[in-house]
Amino acid sequence: MLRYVELYFKLVGAGIRAQLQYRFAFVMRIVGMITAYSGTAITMWVMLYQFQELGSWNFYEMLFLFAIAILSWGFCIILFFHFRSLDTYILNGTFDRFLVRPINPFFHFMAMKFDVAAFGQFIFSIFIFIWVSIELGIDWSFGKFLFLLASIVGGVLIQGGLLVIISALAFWTTKSEQFYWVVMYPARNLTNYPLVIYPKFVQWFTAFVIPFGFVNYFPAAVILGKETPFFPENIGYLAPIVGIVFFVIAYYIWMLGLSRYKSTGS
Amino acid sequence: MFNYRVYWTFTKKSFLRSSVYRFDVWSRLGSNIIFLLMWGSIWTALYAGREEAGGVGFEAMLTYIVVSQFLTGVNGAGTPLWEIQEKVRTGDIALELMRPFDIPLRYLFADIGSVAFYIVTALLPLYTVLFIFMDLALPTDWLTWLYFVVASIIGFMIRYCIEMSFGLLTFFLVETGGIEDIFYFAMSLLSGSVIPLWFFPDWLATIALYLPFQGIYYIPNAIFIGEIAGAEILVSIGIQLFWVAVTYMTLRLIWNRASRKVVVQGG
Amino acid sequence: MVPIIEVEHLMKDFKIAKRETGFAGAIRSLVKREFITKEAVKDISFTIEEGEMVGYIGPNGAGKSTTIKMLTGILVPSGGSVRVNGIIPYENRQKNAKNIGVVFGQRTQLWWDLPTIESFELLKEIYQVSNERYEENMATFTDILGLDEFLDTPVRQLSLGQRMRADIAASLLHDPPILFLDEPTIGLDVVAKEKMRTFIKEINKERNITVILTTHDMEDIEKLCKRMVLIDHGQKVYDGEISVVKDRFGKIRTLVVDLEESDCILQLSGGKVFKEEGNRYWIHFNRDEVSASELIAQITSTHNIKDLTVEEPEIESIISRIYQEGFQDLPNPVKV
Repeated sequence: MLRYVELYFKLVGAGIRAQLQYRFAFVMRIVGMITAYSGTAITMWVMLYQFQELGSWNFYEMLFLFAIAILSWGFCIILFFHFRSLDTYILNGTFDRFLVRPINPFFHFMAMKFDVAAFGQFIFSIFIFIWVSIELGIDWSFGKFLFLLASIVGGVLIQGGLLVIISALAFWTTKSEQFYWVVMYPARNLTNYPLVIYPKFVQWFTAFVIPFGFVNYFPAAVILGKETPFFPENIGYLAPIVGIVFFVIAYYIWMLGLSRYKSTGS
Repeated sequence: MFNYRVYWTFTKKSFLRSSVYRFDVWSRLGSNIIFLLMWGSIWTALYAGREEAGGVGFEAMLTYIVVSQFLTGVNGAGTPLWEIQEKVRTGDIALELMRPFDIPLRYLFADIGSVAFYIVTALLPLYTVLFIFMDLALPTDWLTWLYFVVASIIGFMIRYCIEMSFGLLTFFLVETGGIEDIFYFAMSLLSGSVIPLWFFPDWLATIALYLPFQGIYYIPNAIFIGEIAGAEILVSIGIQLFWVAVTYMTLRLIWNRASRKVVVQGG
Repeated sequence: MVPIIEVEHLMKDFKIAKRETGFAGAIRSLVKREFITKEAVKDISFTIEEGEMVGYIGPNGAGKSTTIKMLTGILVPSGGSVRVNGIIPYENRQKNAKNIGVVFGQRTQLWWDLPTIESFELLKEIYQVSNERYEENMATFTDILGLDEFLDTPVRQLSLGQRMRADIAASLLHDPPILFLDEPTIGLDVVAKEKMRTFIKEINKERNITVILTTHDMEDIEKLCKRMVLIDHGQKVYDGEISVVKDRFGKIRTLVVDLEESDCILQLSGGKVFKEEGNRYWIHFNRDEVSASELIAQITSTHNIKDLTVEEPEIESIISRIYQEGFQDLPNPVKV
């Protein structure tokens, strides 16, 4: 176990150095991400300029909701984003290289890339957290802060878990990247806004099937003291557990896919 | 000499090619529906049961969003930015320069083919059903329909010219990520694709009115729901035509520079 | 001698899903699919002794890489048994991985964007190579393969020859007793090929590493291996010394003559002109039926010969003839 931690940092360090070879591209990506997220934030502001509230959420509350999603997505990009292109690795045969080495292939594949451009997400979301905390006068007790961290971890595990499941689809269907764009990209956009505004079946789906509601909506409702109609009060406290469970399921699906890959080789 | 036959071939070819990538068509349609659901829900929640806001009725607003999402589908089916970047990256653009056709036009005509395929097979069936089953405010006279179609087509051309110009920046910059994001942001907000200009703060609305993006979504959408009506329609289409001319000339200017760069430096 | 690789009645079936196209097809294929069974490896048995260097060859799709994948633990066989250095690879993949080195000629296993040395350092960690052993190996490989000229260059900037040298060094870093080489000389120029072969020979001899080589380049086989295992359609069709095949199928020689005049019609008994270019003629003959000197005599009786050579058959042409003519005539597989 300790060996794996050490190895992870070594592999990841290599990944970072590899990326820093393209410094200009690196900076441009960070700038690009911050621009894109600011764009969404500005859109929210314009939207609420006349209307003040969206499903009883005001502009700052929505920003807070958005920032939680972005922060956990940032970690997710770092750790798991490359999982979506497993299909390419399988098709051009480079995936086999992870199978001729004496370490866990899931771990090896995970440690292969480390996308530091996610700094854009961190800068953006931390700025928003500070701004919103001042505007809304959020009283950050130690417990609250700890809960925020725990639900960020939960959010990383949920979104990472979905990326892992999407990548595992490649073992069966030889497609994964496209599933990302059909399933996950729209789902992520959906959760930028409070779930309460959507039809019930969408809310239900994002709470119990693909638990994206636990990435930001439920935890943000707990921290901001908002109501979550149709759902038990404080359901957000479950976020870290949901994350762990979902990720474990995802991991086993991936391993199942791998054993299928080993018996079919396709 | 403008040779229609050559360009028409590109249109036909890309129409047929699109049918091979059916997964692509379905996945686009899938995410189009999800985004429609998202914006429909957002506007329903914003109106929060009110009959009207800012002088625009709820039904009209919902129609605005549905039409806008339809046009997003149309505009999203063409991919000049992505394609031209790929060609520049792989160096294939140099090969294309040896061929006896104009490259910006060639991509436009190819785009029309794939867009047509997508409209016929996916967008029209879906949106016809939506218009039948949802309470939407349809234009009652055929002239409005006509104006809408004309404005949409001009909007498509404006978007094409702008997107292609951004795509051509690949010739001058190694990494275009950041600039692209600015472009996509402007496309989604300042074009009025998700929020109509009348809900903008005044200063922002003024900025948007002086930019070409409003011609892509806002003008056709607003014509459709009757927010732009009467003589205003012709003025708006005039503004669109002005922007087509300007963006087209910009595109040509950038293209001339870009192609000279390929000729001189070999890509 | 101890067998280090034992393969018995190895089989591998693939269920190939009938390709369904489109989104609906992809979704449908999640639920229900139609399969065609393809037997990639039907019934292959062989053993390889420690320190042997064996050419494992066959046409594309014969089952070569499927076999290699089962030996490396990437694939689980559908029947039969495999043992590599006493380990069943698919049951104990990670342990097996420490015993083998693998080089895929077409794909590098090095970190593309990093200076070459970093890949070595990472592999040292992955395979848990001790510091002393790492230093020793690096010193040896640097010496023989001239790694030092490009250790600080990112892998993506290496020439193909350099990259292959780095790749093969990387595969040997953890002192595996067995080395799998898949097309190790593909795309290399003559000099680089020669260097690569010398190195392979050397490590085989000095470290007693068992080498299994798959390649399309028959010169590799000829120069490196004594024994070859030839497979086709998932079955072993020959296993034995290369020289036996060469004798059996190498009876057809080529006589190349330059005559003084061109456009001649040569009527020869026992020989056949199969190619001509200007005044140069290529003639096939079977050395059991007619000797080269008899043929030359026939030609000189009517024409003046300026120059001539007799070409030995290349194993390459022999193999392609075996494929063309079928395997019925092959000598019984002999164990070496």
